[in-house]
Amino acid sequence: MSVPPHMQRRRRRPVVAVVAVVAAAGCVLLAACGSGRSILEAGNEPRPTTPTTTPATTVPGQTTVPGQTTVPAPTTAPPTTLPRPIDSLPPCDMAALDTAAADGPVEVLFWHGMANELGRELERIVGEFNASQDRVEVRLEFQGGYEQTIDKYLQSDTDNRPDLVQMPEYTVQLMVDTQSNVPVQACMEDIGYDAADILPSALRAYATEGIQWAMPFNLSNPVLYYNKQVFRDAGLDPEAPPRTLDELAEAGRTIQSSGAAAYGIALDSAPDGGGGWFLEQWLAKEGEFYSDNDNGRAAPSTRVLFDGPTGVSLLTALRDVVVNGGGVYVGENPGGTDTFLKLADASAPASMTIATSAALGAVLQFVEGGIIPGIGVDDIGIAPMPSPTGAPGTLVGGASLWITAGRGDAEAAAAFEFVQYLVSAEVQSQWAAATGYVPVNTAAPGLEPLLGVYATDPRFRVAYDQVAETPDLPTSDGPVLGPLREVRVTAAGAMAQILNGADPATALADAASLANALIADYNARR
Amino acid sequence: MSRRWRDLPFAVAFLAPSLLILSAFVLYPLGRAVWLGHQRCDATGANCRSNGWDQYVDVFRSEEFQQALGVTVRFALLTVPVGLALGIALAVLADKHLRGIGFFRTVFSSTVATSVAVASLMWFFLLNPSVGVLADWIGGVAKNPGLLRDEDTALWAVAVSSIWANLGFTFIVVTAGLQSIPAELYESARVDGAGGWTRFSNVTLPMLGPTLLFAGVVLTSRAFQAYGEFDLLTGGGPNGSTTSLTYLVYGNNSIIKNNVGLQAAVAVLLFVVLILLSALQIRGVERRVHYGN
Repeated sequence: MSVPPHMQRRRRRPVVAVVAVVAAAGCVLLAACGSGRSILEAGNEPRPTTPTTTPATTVPGQTTVPGQTTVPAPTTAPPTTLPRPIDSLPPCDMAALDTAAADGPVEVLFWHGMANELGRELERIVGEFNASQDRVEVRLEFQGGYEQTIDKYLQSDTDNRPDLVQMPEYTVQLMVDTQSNVPVQACMEDIGYDAADILPSALRAYATEGIQWAMPFNLSNPVLYYNKQVFRDAGLDPEAPPRTLDELAEAGRTIQSSGAAAYGIALDSAPDGGGGWFLEQWLAKEGEFYSDNDNGRAAPSTRVLFDGPTGVSLLTALRDVVVNGGGVYVGENPGGTDTFLKLADASAPASMTIATSAALGAVLQFVEGGIIPGIGVDDIGIAPMPSPTGAPGTLVGGASLWITAGRGDAEAAAAFEFVQYLVSAEVQSQWAAATGYVPVNTAAPGLEPLLGVYATDPRFRVAYDQVAETPDLPTSDGPVLGPLREVRVTAAGAMAQILNGADPATALADAASLANALIADYNARR
Repeated sequence: MSRRWRDLPFAVAFLAPSLLILSAFVLYPLGRAVWLGHQRCDATGANCRSNGWDQYVDVFRSEEFQQALGVTVRFALLTVPVGLALGIALAVLADKHLRGIGFFRTVFSSTVATSVAVASLMWFFLLNPSVGVLADWIGGVAKNPGLLRDEDTALWAVAVSSIWANLGFTFIVVTAGLQSIPAELYESARVDGAGGWTRFSNVTLPMLGPTLLFAGVVLTSRAFQAYGEFDLLTGGGPNGSTTSLTYLVYGNNSIIKNNVGLQAAVAVLLFVVLILLSALQIRGVERRVHYGN
């Protein structure tokens, strides 16, 4: 038997052929020339005019003085949203629970996005609640994270939705527009719930159109994490961390030139971190709105304002930290771990980063394990988030609890019963002590275990004080935009380009124009 | 004719179970996706209205789709040929009757039992610029900002992880193909004076034709549908350099997230692209493939 002749003839191999075909197909497909338009415009008529000027200068009634930060647009004659009458929304009948509970406990299905340590603490709290009474039985279902919870909630119908769901702060408008909730205000009014102990700013974050939609539960904000040992080695005072961006750059340069660490601050561009969320925080700290119509709270926002002078000077300062020395850019930081890992880098570590206060518990636990040589639990310093001018205060971050409508009066009432438990001073004290979240109940810091934690470890108190020091301004309530998460992604994209050296004004203007298209598209669809 | 009609009830009865399952899980979702692709809906997928069938054309020509298509094609070109070559190399190496070869076969095929999530997390930490082992070895861009965080290297880094994860599959398929090649062919080639390389290129490769066609089509289709790697390793970044078509559809950082109509349009277009590609591959390559006698 010999090799058939037709096989000997063949010179091209199948592998080569497959490659050739794939390549050819790819080239043909790509040759179909692109339109250069955004996918958001697909199927729409081309817009007659594209605004090319920066929006900040096109608003009637608003004057921009070059070199100065813009004054928030005076609300001379803006379109206003009238307060929504509470009667027009699904009601809450707390008495329905009494009736139903006579026949046994009412089950409440609760979807949440708390992973790892946070999830385990939530499980413990739910277990205690279930054991403490026999009217409500809460069934906890972890959805994998905030994003998965949102996706699943949005795509489910009422029957497949939970009775209670935890939603992050950027979903307020999205949730309101689903028209699928019993506003907690209805339940509060039904039993005359006294919300005096609940942090007012936390409540306001989840209230629009005069309606308290959801109850804040886990509150966090960005804080500065820094390595005290590096500060000491560099001759800096570890008890006086930088408060302004100038001080931050200065401290970073001192650290780098002294050789105490390779880098000062580790900056990231995550949508829910340095790229998106922090930008909202920084603008608020400077007393600026993130989007028009008072962050979408006076009327639906039509455009973002982050490409204004304050945004440009802010990002110029951050870029200079990376470009001129004092910091390092670590990328998109998916999972929120890259900035922390940069602090633990054996060969070229950074010595500071900005991250959510909610990570504090986990970070300390991790360091306590002794995995990172040279960093002990006491070396981790926590300070308020540095900002351009060092202004105190913060926007409310974290998540809130939403009650689903249409799943039964008893279920809604049972869900609110559980909500009251979750935001009680006792539970908030335990929750904040275990996680690093800010308690949403102002009485919680006066109770054990949080009382002891705040006394012995002031690091846990930093995020709480940031909330307490927030000035009482309209800009202190964060933006409510339907596509806020997507807008954050566009801002994060600009941040990434800028920290890689791009021109801040151009990158921000491009991101703002995409963000405005997202807002227009969302408003057209809802 | 009449007999055929008499068989009809039986035919329907026998076909019914798979028809039912196919329609519920394939045909209906497919039809619905095609329908949704010309619509715009609110964030919950309700209140849909038609935006015209030209939405498909516009989506295809849009900047985001073209960029994602480019990323996807490049990803396939990076992963499929290298994956096939490595799979063949390992399979030929392990196709020996030696003591302990079973150990190597197990090792080489082990990634087939590794989920994308596990493989991606492993590579995430290997490539991590701060704590990753590889970062310190490679240095340079691997250290700052990191292979997965640099626009020019991110897709390559994801491709490496994907090639590694798919290697087990290719290895098993090619090994099975090798074992079906009759030993007589090698013997007669040897008698004819063919050396190792000649035997490989004139006997092994041609006889593996059908196997390689199958593996090539499957790997290409996998590459076009890869999602977990992008989601876990890069989140579509940096600067969209790893936003593949699937990531544009599902990804958390996609700008058409919560935009069911556009998501469906992209998904359907991906489906069309894949069908065309598979047809091309099979038609173009099949003529060159020897299926034996």
